[in-house]
Amino acid sequence: MALFAELRRRNVLKVALLYVVASWLILWFVRNTSGALGLPAWADTFVMLLLAIGFPVALIFAWVYEITPAGLRKAVDVDQTQSIVYKTGQKLNAAVAVLLVLGVLALFGERLMPKFEFLVPGVPEGDPPAGTAAPADIRSLTLANGLKVIVWPDHDIPNVVFYNFVRAGSRNEYPGITGLAHFFEHMMFNSTENLPPGEFDRRMEAAGGSNNAYTSNDLTVYMDWFPKTALETIVALEADRLQNLSFEPDVIESERGVVASERRTRVDNSRIGQLVEQMYATAFIAHPYQFPTIGWASDIAAWTRADLTAFYRTYYAPNNCTVVFTGDVTPAEVFALAEEYFAPIPRQPAPPAVRTVEPPQLGPRRLLLEVAAQTPLLHMAFHGGAAADPQTEPLNLLLSILVDGDSSRLHRALVEDAGIAISVAGWQDEGFDPGLVYFYATLPAGGDPAAVEAALLAELERVVAGDVTEAELAKAKNIRLAGYWRDLATIDGKAAALGEYEVLKGGYEQLFTLPDRLEQITLADLAAAAERIFDPAGMTVGVLAPPASEAPDR
Amino acid sequence: MKSLCRALLCVTLCGLAGASFGQDVRLPERTRVVLDNGVTLVLAEKHEVPLIGVEAVLEGGAITDPGSQAGLSALLAGLLEKGAGTRDAAAFAEAVAAVGGTLSAGADLEAITVSGEFMSRDADLMVELLADMLQRPALAEDEFDKLKNRAAEFIRAAKDSNLGALVPLYGRALLFGQHAYGRPVSGSEASLAAIRHADVQRHYEAQLGADRLVIAVAGDFDTAAMQAKLTDAFAGWRAAAQPLHEVPPPAPLTGRRVLLVDKPGATQTYFWLGNVGVAVTYPQRAELDIANTVFGGRFTSILNNALRIESGLTYGAFSSLSRHAAPGSLAIYSFTETASTMAAVDMALDLLGAFRTSGIDAAQVTSAKNYILGQFAPRLETAAQLAGAFAELEQYGLGTDYIDGYGPAVAAAEAASINAVIAEVYPVPADLAIVLLGDAEKMRDAAAGYGPVVEMPITEPRFKAPAAEPAVAGQRSK
Repeated sequence: MALFAELRRRNVLKVALLYVVASWLILWFVRNTSGALGLPAWADTFVMLLLAIGFPVALIFAWVYEITPAGLRKAVDVDQTQSIVYKTGQKLNAAVAVLLVLGVLALFGERLMPKFEFLVPGVPEGDPPAGTAAPADIRSLTLANGLKVIVWPDHDIPNVVFYNFVRAGSRNEYPGITGLAHFFEHMMFNSTENLPPGEFDRRMEAAGGSNNAYTSNDLTVYMDWFPKTALETIVALEADRLQNLSFEPDVIESERGVVASERRTRVDNSRIGQLVEQMYATAFIAHPYQFPTIGWASDIAAWTRADLTAFYRTYYAPNNCTVVFTGDVTPAEVFALAEEYFAPIPRQPAPPAVRTVEPPQLGPRRLLLEVAAQTPLLHMAFHGGAAADPQTEPLNLLLSILVDGDSSRLHRALVEDAGIAISVAGWQDEGFDPGLVYFYATLPAGGDPAAVEAALLAELERVVAGDVTEAELAKAKNIRLAGYWRDLATIDGKAAALGEYEVLKGGYEQLFTLPDRLEQITLADLAAAAERIFDPAGMTVGVLAPPASEAPDR
Repeated sequence: MKSLCRALLCVTLCGLAGASFGQDVRLPERTRVVLDNGVTLVLAEKHEVPLIGVEAVLEGGAITDPGSQAGLSALLAGLLEKGAGTRDAAAFAEAVAAVGGTLSAGADLEAITVSGEFMSRDADLMVELLADMLQRPALAEDEFDKLKNRAAEFIRAAKDSNLGALVPLYGRALLFGQHAYGRPVSGSEASLAAIRHADVQRHYEAQLGADRLVIAVAGDFDTAAMQAKLTDAFAGWRAAAQPLHEVPPPAPLTGRRVLLVDKPGATQTYFWLGNVGVAVTYPQRAELDIANTVFGGRFTSILNNALRIESGLTYGAFSSLSRHAAPGSLAIYSFTETASTMAAVDMALDLLGAFRTSGIDAAQVTSAKNYILGQFAPRLETAAQLAGAFAELEQYGLGTDYIDGYGPAVAAAEAASINAVIAEVYPVPADLAIVLLGDAEKMRDAAAGYGPVVEMPITEPRFKAPAAEPAVAGQRSK
């Protein structure tokens, strides 16, 4: 008790209280200004550490020394009758009170003000778009570690969309690890060094957000949709999984089961999925586009933890990602958060280039899948161009004329007039490397795949011969233009389109030149694209049908 | 240390704030007009992009199909697109596509709906095509034949490539039996075969008309001009020949019924567990949405967490509610490797039982509220979404408070009332219609453990089990 009384007498307890309150204010200030001042993300941790070390020092100092009218003296040397510790104590009380009031005001200020923004030099403003076609309020910023951040404000609804385009897809795989890029998409929702499994989604959903992701031949794309109040939570979660993913063996095994289930759903129990997989494996003999994005079943069962960590280190690097924010945000607040959370992630060496170029195909390839099925399938593919190829857009218009809607050429010829198919559709791959231009028809039970193949080829010969009309071209342009506006009607569509153009099509600004570029496309451009792509020597034809003995009678 | 500090701060601030977002989502200003012949028009301007969305709803739908002709309304809807006014099928499709528009008709249980989107410069054409399609459809016999044959082939194609889409059809047929909600909206191979061209023509006269019609438009137009156009185009239409009949509420199932659909060679089992849920007018909608969000309505739901995240048994597990004028289904749906069928179904049943008895806690309530409110605004972002929302309100006679009051209702819901709703709405595991679709040879024994089983091959041209045994009341097989 005597010690406690002496602690009180020497104001050690009051000094301790003052220290704690002052530290709290200092930390609050550092946290709220570190982004604006461009301080590194570890600044507040560092300050906290300094304050913690200082705490015992301050207490010992308060115990040992005492303020007297003659200055600082060792407490043991001070004559107790002359001590003014009482007055010092009152001053300390006043200081604690003042700091507490300041702290409460600061907290309320932060709560009441729309957003505490420091207009301090050093906050990156980002670059405006190049050219005049793009909306002037878009900003982009490339962080020192190579991560490009694009922001398109849109305050129509109080929500925000985040996309992260990671340049990793089945294109970056090789035999033994096929499907790894897609498996990674799953692993990115599991544990990190800071968060246990499931916590990423629990936190995001509790903050009002939802998410999804997809993997293609070329990219793995992560998407979050959330109210603007969750912005910092989302950025923190995304930055965490980009640098701290952990690979716990039991989590890997559980996720292996999930992906196997996904493969059974998408491929093994879907006749269309089975044929598409085999078509790509046939049309490509050298380039990794031959691998199914979901992976071969044996690889899903066999890849190792070491495969995963190597893939993570190589591809989940800030310099291999592009992030997009659209919605109810300002570039300044996004860039401040990006500097705080994304900038500390270290740059990695550039991933190895995909060197293999698919050699020219020297004649048609055919495959037949004989499996139990009621409705036969006929798929036909040709080698196309890469997304950035100038013929991508003319070819899109040509495909629209061929397969878009009930007035399209193939629908009319195969489904309505000849009645030899119940549906026909098509797409072209738009990736880093030349992909496929793909048509697929579903036949009625007992239908004749040879008849569908002949009719499809006849229609393609017509467009190669150049018989597309001006009216058809105008229609295709209108369909494309309406689709363009439909995409830009939502903040999700805006984010998806910005990223797609930025990553695959020569820069996000190109999105906004599309209407003008469409206008300039002529019938000659369509004929040239048709002649180049629809080359019978580069064709792959796949048929899925029941064995002859099981086929139903027509 | 840093994240701890931040997390603590966040907890402080969130504690002060609570969820404030999503509560102020409101429908925009709209103009509502009822024409003399009963057509209801709802118009709302939105000028962000040069598009107009339209949704025309004709009350009726698949519940008006005769029991043996399921798919009649869906065929009629499809045929509305196949030529109207002076245009044949090809010319009609060409007219829509030529301007980059979309205009498609489809049926659901209680309505035939035409949805479209056009660039604003084509507003006149949009109204002309919509008016032709509803008032002057060609209903040509050759187009009918093609459409009907294709509809049956699409079902066969789904049996080859899209099993997940078929499971709820088997499930609802099993659960609702003779009730209209048990019929497949698009028909079955057998019911489609029973439909003749004259049936479609009769159905058009009987079930489509001005008194059944709501047209909602939203987007980049001038309200007065659009209202004048629509009034001109629809004021002269006749009423439907038959009055709209009400659907009686379906009886909830007591006991179990199990349907085993055999797909030889399938490597996974698709399963559906359901009973009767609630109607669209269920008063405690906010509480129920919170409950289902927690149970099976999002990625971290109880179902998905157990069946996917923790056990790796499946790619996804969900629960969903179909809400109509009368109570629709409440169902759990998932799929798993054939060998783990029992493990996954047992787990789903256990979770359902535990959910009913334990309810949900305060943390789950807060998280689900935030999730629903945070995802609410994007559902009313586009002109087409707004048109759809306005049409739905009119179809079911719901006030705008159905949307404007939803956020506040979600925010105000309390754990006790949510748990009462769970106990009221979610079925006990002993009372369920259960569909298992997969390789029957490998799971026949497992199926028998869940209750009285009826088995049918997937090639059977109908979704209804051949002789659904009456459920044994109170049976508990696990």
